[in-house]
Amino acid sequence: MSSRRTAAGGRIDRLRTIRFTFDGRAYAGFQGDTLASALLANGVSLLARSFKYHRPRGVLTSGIDEPNALVTVLRGDIREPNIPATMVEIYDGLVAVSQNRFPSLAYDVSAINQLGGKFISAGFYYKTFMGPVVGPLKGTRFWMLCEKVIRRAAGLGRAGLAPDPARYERMNAFCDVLVVGSGPAGLAAAREAAASGARVILTELDPQFGGSANWSGETIDGEPSKAWASDIVGELRDHDNVRLLKRTTVWGYYDGNTLAAIERVGDHKDAPAKGAPRHRHWTIRAKNVVLATGAFERPLVFPGNDRPGVMMASAAQRYANLYGVLPGEKIAIFTNNDSAYRAAVALNKAGATIAAIVDVRPEISEDCRALARQCGAELLVGHAVVGTAGGKKLTGIKVAQFAIAAGALPSGGHNIETDCLLMSGGWSPTIHLASQAGARPLWNEALQAFLPPEAGQGWIGAGAFNGTFSTADAIAEGFAAGRAALDLPRVEPGTPHVEPAPLDPRPAPVFEIRAKGKAFVDFQHDVTADDVRLAHLEGFVSVEHLKRYTTLGMATDQGKGSNVPGLAIMAEAVGKPIPEVGTTRFRPPYAPVSVGALAAERFGDLKPERLTPMHDWHLENGATMYSAGLWFRPMIYGEAGETIEQAYVREARTTRETAGIVDVSTLGKIAVQGPDAAEFLDRVYSNVFSTLAVGKARYGLMLREDGLVFDDGTTWRLGEHDFLMTTTTANAGKVMQHLEYFLDVVWPELKVHLTSVTDQWAGAAIGGPKAREILASCVTGTRVDNEVLPFMGIVHGEISGAPVMICRLSFSGEMAFEVYSGAGHGTHVWEALVEAGKPCGMVPYGLEALGTMRIEKGHVTGAEIDGRTSARDLHLGWMLSKKKPFIGSAMMDREGIVAPGRLELVGLISLDNRPLAGGSHVVMEAYPENPHGSLGHITAACFSPALGKYIALALVSGGKARHGSRAHVSDPLRGRFGPVEIVSHHFFDPEGKRMHG
Amino acid sequence: MVEQQSPLEPVFRPGSHGNFADGVGVTLSEIAPCSIIQLAAWPGEEKKLMVVIGSVTGLKLADGAGAGASSDRYSAFGFAPGKFLVIDASEGLATTLAAKVAPAVGTVTDLSHGRIAIRIEGAKAEWVLGKLFAIDLALAAFPLGSGISTTHHDIFTLMQRSGPQRFDLYVFRSFARSFWKMLCHAADEVGYEVR
Amino acid sequence: MLITCPHCGPRDISEFAYQGEGGRTRPDPASTDLEAWNAYVYQRLNTAGAHDEIWQHAGGCRSHLAVVRDTLTHEIASVRFAREHGAPAHGRRKPGARK
Repeated sequence: MSSRRTAAGGRIDRLRTIRFTFDGRAYAGFQGDTLASALLANGVSLLARSFKYHRPRGVLTSGIDEPNALVTVLRGDIREPNIPATMVEIYDGLVAVSQNRFPSLAYDVSAINQLGGKFISAGFYYKTFMGPVVGPLKGTRFWMLCEKVIRRAAGLGRAGLAPDPARYERMNAFCDVLVVGSGPAGLAAAREAAASGARVILTELDPQFGGSANWSGETIDGEPSKAWASDIVGELRDHDNVRLLKRTTVWGYYDGNTLAAIERVGDHKDAPAKGAPRHRHWTIRAKNVVLATGAFERPLVFPGNDRPGVMMASAAQRYANLYGVLPGEKIAIFTNNDSAYRAAVALNKAGATIAAIVDVRPEISEDCRALARQCGAELLVGHAVVGTAGGKKLTGIKVAQFAIAAGALPSGGHNIETDCLLMSGGWSPTIHLASQAGARPLWNEALQAFLPPEAGQGWIGAGAFNGTFSTADAIAEGFAAGRAALDLPRVEPGTPHVEPAPLDPRPAPVFEIRAKGKAFVDFQHDVTADDVRLAHLEGFVSVEHLKRYTTLGMATDQGKGSNVPGLAIMAEAVGKPIPEVGTTRFRPPYAPVSVGALAAERFGDLKPERLTPMHDWHLENGATMYSAGLWFRPMIYGEAGETIEQAYVREARTTRETAGIVDVSTLGKIAVQGPDAAEFLDRVYSNVFSTLAVGKARYGLMLREDGLVFDDGTTWRLGEHDFLMTTTTANAGKVMQHLEYFLDVVWPELKVHLTSVTDQWAGAAIGGPKAREILASCVTGTRVDNEVLPFMGIVHGEISGAPVMICRLSFSGEMAFEVYSGAGHGTHVWEALVEAGKPCGMVPYGLEALGTMRIEKGHVTGAEIDGRTSARDLHLGWMLSKKKPFIGSAMMDREGIVAPGRLELVGLISLDNRPLAGGSHVVMEAYPENPHGSLGHITAACFSPALGKYIALALVSGGKARHGSRAHVSDPLRGRFGPVEIVSHHFFDPEGKRMHG
Repeated sequence: MVEQQSPLEPVFRPGSHGNFADGVGVTLSEIAPCSIIQLAAWPGEEKKLMVVIGSVTGLKLADGAGAGASSDRYSAFGFAPGKFLVIDASEGLATTLAAKVAPAVGTVTDLSHGRIAIRIEGAKAEWVLGKLFAIDLALAAFPLGSGISTTHHDIFTLMQRSGPQRFDLYVFRSFARSFWKMLCHAADEVGYEVR
Repeated sequence: MLITCPHCGPRDISEFAYQGEGGRTRPDPASTDLEAWNAYVYQRLNTAGAHDEIWQHAGGCRSHLAVVRDTLTHEIASVRFAREHGAPAHGRRKPGARK
């Protein structure tokens, strides 16, 4: 392969060549490569264009903190944008493309933005979009026109529009100890916790366990760290009580030690295994958590620090040791701390030439000097990099003398030829999860880093997370954390012997080298050091404001590398120490989470839905279904060529002429049982139920505590202590909760049990002049005549061998019966009824016809019981018992609820023979251009076959007093204005002769 | 007696499904026909109710929340304070129990049509159910015979562990088809057999 | 967030439904004292800190629970069955009175 690939080493499988494309060009890599490592191995240095300035960018890091090398991964029509190339594992056939460039990555016309650098500095949007008047356009509007162009120029990848066929799922897990991070500290913690038999979950965001042990090149107790780690992983694998989750990012830490994680199950394969999800979202409820999340190396801020070829030192070490890839041939190092010296040695060992090590510190340890000598590098202490050269690729750096107090010397300096500059600005512990859990980080002066404070809810830290950068100490901490998480007695860990010995972890307090040119703090959002200072000049003092104004740390990498340098520059500008400036609190997610994984299976076909027992019959018999809450109900049973209106008018007319049958199984049904059931119902209904005879039903009305109407329905007394309450379909759950609340919390002394039996019963309502005749022809075991089954009476019998319970009650206004059978017999009974109705031409009808007939009768439903209406508004004042208190009785007569001028239920008849629509306003004046003075609104409308007119129910101020008067409906949205007559809501058969027979 | 129709009928496809090339991880079945009865005791009367359950089913329930037991024919478990679900592999249990539970002890509610009993069994049963329920299903946390009430999205579910790797789920009938589809979907990954 | 139901044990917050502030006094049902009713129906303490709450384990045993939760930290100090303890009932706390 290319000269950038080392001859041996790394965790890649050199026998397995993987072929992929990037921006249409074919490349090869090895199994185990990331897109970043494979492209670097192929000598590709330009991977992206930056957010605002379209500057060429390469790979900066080797992991989840990557701000530059964001790519879009394509799978067929599916685009997944903004994925760090450092996190994409290559597979045969991988197609990745670069982003935010036109026409191509190498020749991007928007790179001209760099010349207008001042133009799009901090606060650009806030300043720009409130511009002055430009010509005929108001400033803001003019800029709105420009916005589209600007937004296209500044941005990330483009999301796709094709539906994502991938499978996502959610998983719940419980454990005694969750160990986040599988570096040496995490592995030690997991091993110790697992040994005691506790349930342990170990998560690792990389494709292999081990963390730094995989690439540090250390030996632990004489064994290479890689082997040490894989031994422990093997041991953990043998435990039944341990779950190992790799490619899993713990992204949220919530109350009660509930943590959220996303496992990338299928992203590294060309196709997921059968039935396996692409991403699996884990909700982990852990008794205790060990946070061993390590640390991120920080960039240094200096002019040209974003040029392709500038990289984090530890990232380069990882590329060399993990992937056998050299990011450059002639490498320079720029550091403020010791750790970069190890990286220099590692890269030198792997075959690179180390041209120079530039260290801002005036003095360095003899250990470091020895390491510099070992790799043959020119050592420049008390120096800094003040500039970089090259276009899309680094060709050299400019180095000048540097003093920590004074900064870089303006004059002098010399150039060094190099194709790769590795930088190290110290380390920031990955304390995101602890911060999410509520812990305020503490600034540590020696380590120049924010450290986690004392543990908050149920977690213990270990390793670099704690600022413990020596591997030996990290292992000891992990061991102790694994025991402490289980409250095991402390034992002396016995620190392992790690070679080489640790270097000094303390960096010099240098974050920025001030010199001419753009020096980037937040690479992904193109925020420079000057932007931070500009924000300060413009009066932004709070770190939270700084963040929002400059967008520092608000990119998809959430400022993993940029937060601390940004703060340091801000602190310097403000003239305060860093801890006084403070840091922002980290919030979930730690890293981007696919929306698919959060939604998981709850969409499309897998959304929960409720079906009545007769659902399949409805479908087979031509019903058009629609959803009512979670339920599916027939709207109409349309015949060929019928419109919806024609269908429901036919259904309603036939029902009034002969008979119709409708599925009412969705009505809420609650078994109210116990010796105090009648007393309970008296308290919750506005009318009296204790006087109801066994075998009879009664219409009931419920109010809320505030005196407004809550719900209505009939309740049937099946036995002395046994009632069957029905509720409206929509309110079934709410009524149940309301009743349970009162029973549990307010009246615990009542002996009543409530059970949802909605699903126990199938309900078929048959109504119409022939309904009784039809019923009589198929019911056995009981008569259904007026004597045995009077209005509101209940009888028990059988239909076609299935037990049924029949109550004579009417919603349609016709002679009607509700036939209840066990749900498992629902279709059987329904079909028998339909068969019995055939001789007289009975039709099945849907919700539209049901609605039509109830509007004709002036019966109220949820449209009128809208949470604002009182019983009197709905002319149901007669149901408010004066003999007993009930829920709402104390509040229902409040001034506002009985005031004149409230909206009351009325009927409307369209006088221009055009349809009316729900939501239209009712106004007095015929002034369609300027409708005003609303008297109320329409709640439900239909064409009434019984009246031959378009009618509606409405809530209108003044109500009854307006009967017989004229008004207009106004519906500007649908362009409808027209005259109506206000009438009684009882349009049809007001005396109820038909239902009483 | 007219036979009860299962709401699963159109989606119940016996045979092996999903990723079963290396064997199935779980078996899914509907337990039908059966009686599903809720018994609820007034506060302080729980013991008497448990005696009734014992006399009818022969199952001895231990004290404590969620305790339960099952035999070849019967299952019983507590799922809420004072409330028990009793299941009989044949129909008609409601009548038997109604005659034995005195009004002063509690109430009997027949849910035989209102709930559907689904059984999931196999080495991967915990894994599959973990996708649906935020419940610790480990044997130590959810012992043999015991029952719980929980929810998957809007679908209220009662669940009894009837074997080390076997769970019986009782869901509202109207949700049964949706629930079955979700369960099958969740089991695709491990391969499942419908029986 | 987890709530430890006295019957079911610790369960995810998604199984619970908030049912309002606890510790309220429902006036005598026959009372016509509108001020007392107004206090019961509308007035809330809205405590920053330890807060009496009623939660229903709606996705579980359906019991109502009297929960003391710190509204600043979400820490739950106690959970008990509401039917036995500290729930709104007649005469437990004077209407509108501060704790």
